[in-house]
Amino acid sequence: MVALIVGLKWQLLRNGLRRSTPQLVGLIIAVLYGMGVLVAALSGLVALRFSLPSDVARTAITIGGSAVVLGWTILPIIAYGIDETLDPARFATFAVPRRQLVLGLLLSSLVGVPAAVTTILGLATVITWSRSVPAMSIAPVAAVVAVFTCVAMSRVTSAASFALSRHRRGKEALLLLMLLLSLGFGAATSSVMNQVSSPGLLQDLANVLGWTPLGLAWAVPADFADGAIGSGLLRLALAVVFLVAALLVWDVLLRGALENPRATDGGGSANGNKGLGWFGRMPATPTGAVAARSIIAWRRDPRYVASVVLMLLLPLGLLLPAFTGSGNVWTLAMAPAAGFMLGWSTHNDIAYDGTAFWGHVATGVSGPADRLGRLVPTAVAASVLLPVYAAISCALTGRWSAWPALFGMGGGLLLTGFGVASVMSVLKPYPVPGPGENPFGAPPGSSALTMVIQAVAGTAVFVVNLPLLFVGIGALFGHVWMGWLCLGLAVVFGSGTLAVGTRWGARIYERRAPELLADLSRIR
Amino acid sequence: MQTRGSSAALRLRGLSKSYGSTLAVDRLDLDVPRGSFFGLVGPNGAGKTTTLSMATGLLRPDAGTAHVLGHDVWSDTVRAKQLVGVLPDGLRLFDRLTGLQLICYSGLLRGMDRTVVTERAHELLEALGLAEATGTLVVDYSAGMTKKISLACALIHAPRLLVLDEPFEAVDPISATTIRQILEGYAASGGTVILSSHVMDLVQRLCDRVAIVAAGQIRAEGTLDEVRSGMTLEERFVDLVGGQTDVGEGLAWLRSSSD
Repeated sequence: MVALIVGLKWQLLRNGLRRSTPQLVGLIIAVLYGMGVLVAALSGLVALRFSLPSDVARTAITIGGSAVVLGWTILPIIAYGIDETLDPARFATFAVPRRQLVLGLLLSSLVGVPAAVTTILGLATVITWSRSVPAMSIAPVAAVVAVFTCVAMSRVTSAASFALSRHRRGKEALLLLMLLLSLGFGAATSSVMNQVSSPGLLQDLANVLGWTPLGLAWAVPADFADGAIGSGLLRLALAVVFLVAALLVWDVLLRGALENPRATDGGGSANGNKGLGWFGRMPATPTGAVAARSIIAWRRDPRYVASVVLMLLLPLGLLLPAFTGSGNVWTLAMAPAAGFMLGWSTHNDIAYDGTAFWGHVATGVSGPADRLGRLVPTAVAASVLLPVYAAISCALTGRWSAWPALFGMGGGLLLTGFGVASVMSVLKPYPVPGPGENPFGAPPGSSALTMVIQAVAGTAVFVVNLPLLFVGIGALFGHVWMGWLCLGLAVVFGSGTLAVGTRWGARIYERRAPELLADLSRIR
Repeated sequence: MQTRGSSAALRLRGLSKSYGSTLAVDRLDLDVPRGSFFGLVGPNGAGKTTTLSMATGLLRPDAGTAHVLGHDVWSDTVRAKQLVGVLPDGLRLFDRLTGLQLICYSGLLRGMDRTVVTERAHELLEALGLAEATGTLVVDYSAGMTKKISLACALIHAPRLLVLDEPFEAVDPISATTIRQILEGYAASGGTVILSSHVMDLVQRLCDRVAIVAAGQIRAEGTLDEVRSGMTLEERFVDLVGGQTDVGEGLAWLRSSSD
């Protein structure tokens, strides 16, 4: 049975690739990327073998290993790439004994690029520890425990978020948790980066991590190398206990998922909204209707809510350096960053409709109505956020003269982003999670395609805005008049690209709406 | 109403569509006369959904034409789409909207007046027995309710032709009766309905004209009696489509009471 489940995962991976070339390309890029990371990390691990004091190896491996475990733990919440093809709920109708299911799902998680990289790196620590015989002999055991801890933690997190996301309330809690995690993660990384210069602190960090579940297993060989066999064995035992505990927690969560497999949003979801809601407030035109529908999606659809949280979060993250005392240059980037992200965020909007897009095709909505209506929610949000962010930056840096330049850069990036997105989203929709699925998930093999399209769209927006950014940055260096020039340029240039982009996008839309619908039914 | 010299509500000529090497619809010709209640039956994978999608502008044919009341679906798109109400099968809805909002969305997208849309939407919800669920998100609807709300979306602009793909699939008998009554009323007042279904009994009871599709082509077409030619529709269907395997002595292990 266990072998069957693992085989299933392998088969799914292979069949997925057979279905489309982009996915194959995606996997190849993922493999190449993984190889790059792998080679870099491997050479690091080999180099550590020859580093003189074994302390350096201990510090590096404990901190690095802890980061890997942490990454696996939070990845299912905050990033995409962990696929749900073996969603436990799908096994609900088969009478698979749960113990075997747990084992099978655990082992099947090892099939895939990230797991392969982690396993190879884990086993490569054996090379690092080949400086001493006891360390070298315990290293493989510790590595296996560590790798399984990674996989188990990721399963626990995804099962827990699944359990939470079954209720609207839980979903909100999850998003909040994610927000805090990302903030905490950002703050932690930035302060660690600041301390790299002082190795003493890193050593302390390694010592602390070495006694937490994140680092227990990774620190075992270091103890053996230093002759502290007792402490090493204690760590190993604790690591195994933790792994077993994680598996038990997963088992409990899995039971919930299997006994109540349907993801429902729970009752009482009408929000007391008995009327037309936004359809009553927006103009009664096709454009107004598209806008109203988009606004409702941004408020009610977890996938949009998730990107709202991310979009609010990332510019706020730029505030962190100001508070950790590492200068406030980045603070100035808040409005431009927000403008860029908001403008560009709609570049895959049609994919979020999924096949529901047929409603637009069947009713024969005009291109401009579809293109412009979809921009309304982001435009409204940006009209509040950009001036406020620009003002926050000015207040924190005490440079109010920078406001026109900051707002101008933000606005320019926003409008150009809209223009580019209006064309991109009718050219090539790429796969996104369906409604009700994990908003941070992505169909397997799609991440590379996603990255390519995002890179193309992002680069296009950036390149088009180079002159504007040049003037804006000039203003930040003290030429106040350039700030006003930047604002003026943003208005003229931004509305120009917006007009060209939406008109072009509208023409493409009208020409290939049925083909878009076909694309959407294929990628779902 | 303009006739443009065509008496057919829906006229398909030489429609073809292939997916890769599979030919889903193969030079299909079909005329659905005005005012008829037309049933399109065929086995799974016969090309019913593909045909209806191409007839309503949702899927571009590789070759061939589709005319709705004389308007070419693929060149006079806007006019043709105004005349048709569509209920597709297997496509999602904007399910984060409430039932009322979803119907109104379909109307507003077609450029209708808000007051008219709202009035009609409430009437439709009432008639379809969805009044209770007016403010419920469509994602929380049952399968039958979802079909009914889709039908409401297809009806909101008072189309002259209704194209319904599997309108009775996964629908309980009570909802099915409601849908049937509404469709019969619509047809009686001069509207044209074409629907696809696997349920022969239902097609037999509802439709006055029938076409049997298999492997992307029409195998038989005409009034119900012409097509049946003395048999039941189901017998005639199996007869024409063939491919039924004789179970015979196979699956012996399944007959647990045979010992």
